[in-house]
Amino acid sequence: MADRLTDSKVLLSILDNLPTSIFVKDEDLKFVYSNALHCHMIGKSEAELLGKCDFDFYPDADAAGFATHDTDVIDRGEESISEEMARREDGMCMPVLTRKARLAGPDGKVYLIGTNSDLTDIRKRENQYKALSETVPVAVAQIDESLEISFANPLFNAYCGGDGSEMDHSRLITKLQEVNPGFPGQPCKFEAVVQGLGNQPRTVIVVSSGWLELGDTIRSATVSLIDISQMSELQRINEEVSRLNRELAANMRKLSDAQDELIKKGRMEQLGQLTATVAHELRNPLGAVRTSAFLLERKLKGKGLGVEAQIERINKGIVRCDNIITQLLDFSRSKQLHCQPGDLDEWLTSIVEEEAKKLPAIVEVELLLGLSGQTFPFDPARMQRAVINMISNAVEAMVGTPDQPAAKPTAIPKLMISTFVKQGHVSVRVVDNGPGIPPDVLKRIREPLFTTKSFGTGLGVPAIEQIAVQHGGRLDIRSEVGAGSVFTMWLPTEAKQAAAETRAA
Amino acid sequence: MSKKLNILVVDDDAANADSLAELFELDNHRVIVAYDGQQAVEAFSMNKVDVGFFDVMMPNKNGVESFMEIKAMNPDARVYFMTGFSADDLLDMAIKGGAMGVFSKPVDLVRLLKTVEREAA
Repeated sequence: MADRLTDSKVLLSILDNLPTSIFVKDEDLKFVYSNALHCHMIGKSEAELLGKCDFDFYPDADAAGFATHDTDVIDRGEESISEEMARREDGMCMPVLTRKARLAGPDGKVYLIGTNSDLTDIRKRENQYKALSETVPVAVAQIDESLEISFANPLFNAYCGGDGSEMDHSRLITKLQEVNPGFPGQPCKFEAVVQGLGNQPRTVIVVSSGWLELGDTIRSATVSLIDISQMSELQRINEEVSRLNRELAANMRKLSDAQDELIKKGRMEQLGQLTATVAHELRNPLGAVRTSAFLLERKLKGKGLGVEAQIERINKGIVRCDNIITQLLDFSRSKQLHCQPGDLDEWLTSIVEEEAKKLPAIVEVELLLGLSGQTFPFDPARMQRAVINMISNAVEAMVGTPDQPAAKPTAIPKLMISTFVKQGHVSVRVVDNGPGIPPDVLKRIREPLFTTKSFGTGLGVPAIEQIAVQHGGRLDIRSEVGAGSVFTMWLPTEAKQAAAETRAA
Repeated sequence: MSKKLNILVVDDDAANADSLAELFELDNHRVIVAYDGQQAVEAFSMNKVDVGFFDVMMPNKNGVESFMEIKAMNPDARVYFMTGFSADDLLDMAIKGGAMGVFSKPVDLVRLLKTVEREAA
């Protein structure tokens, strides 16, 4: 191979096949050599070129520029690198990178050797990048290790709030470093708020490649800023819409509840009016029947007619009817509570003592008082109804009524009535050891008019619950078949019935 | 021996009024019966009445209204009320106006007769 390189034909052939155009000029700046690519670039054959100068091929102004340049290189011996536009006679024009150097010829003369590299593709790519960097909605910059910006697209400059001068750049970099001290040397991605055009704060995501070796002596990082303000705004709107939706749903629920309440209240008012009328209309004839039975008893007394049992039956019937009317009235009454602070224990003791007298002797009654004389607001008349209902339910479950004894009476019936304060509520609890309430009955026990008793109205438990709710409290019912039942009224320690009034009325 | 009373029974329910009248008459009291509030006022003004037993809810004039009129004419009038359900406002007014007491219907006759006995004593 080394031998072949001494062959000038081979050398010339190599030069002709290089992808670089090469030319040599003498001291008079006339071409003495041109490889094939150079000939192609100028659009002339080597024969046409040799002995000619740039003035023969280029417009005068261009040629004069080249000549000055060439003279400098030959005179001073300094290598020159410059970008030039190579324009051919036929109008073709291309950007070229021209390197020129002084060459001492073997003949003792001084020559100029030049090379041209076609920059068309590079320029094309550069223009593409430039257009891209100016149109993408992303701010892009290249920051070097000395924190100087070697490239920034217009959007990046806009974030700097100015014309892209260094001071403005450094202000933005400092600001981003405050948010993330590793920026821009460490690869990172973070959110920051920067000033956009017109000093509008913009939320951006900052992405840095970290220091990269890009062929320069100094490393640099590619940094981009993506504006997510609009996304944040969308997210905020989205959240607002979600919140409004939730609010709307809640309001719809409230409205629906209020409607239910109104319907319920309307029904209760209707029921209340109806019951009041019915009560009045029934009690008048009941009074007449009772008085008449009383008169019969008086008139027939001592006549040996044996009608005492029949008259007794009439009287019992009257009492039962009256009790049903009382329960109906109690339940449907929507009147205001008359609450007054009172010693609930003391009051309960008198009620239980009074009721205990009416109970079958077999029922053991235990009263456990735990309020230590504290006073609580309650409506005594309504509470009395609730307590009596709880007691009579318990006793009826254990032993039945005198007229209808329980089919399987509890062997040792025990009634425990207690009071205590727990978690800000005062509780009145009635516990029995009766047969308990089967689950299917327990599920429906709060429904008005639901009853399992042949003599019941189905209003006893609803009335207890209603009274608890009217007081701002609630009724708990627990029961275990075979073990007994526990009814607990939870009442607020402070008067709350006013708020509960509209609900319960 | 307790004295015989002039008793006014007022009730728009005739069966009630009449049976109560019969009950009092059995104890030899003299009974006047009125079937509404207006009749009650007239009966009180035309007769010497020792004690009255008034229903509350009645057509024309309710028991309490007629009682207030009677009270205005005769401040010593002694009147008990009988009611089928508690008309609280009216009854409050009656008690404040000087009514002797309230019986709830159907009236407890033992208690009623004891009251009459006390009035006659």
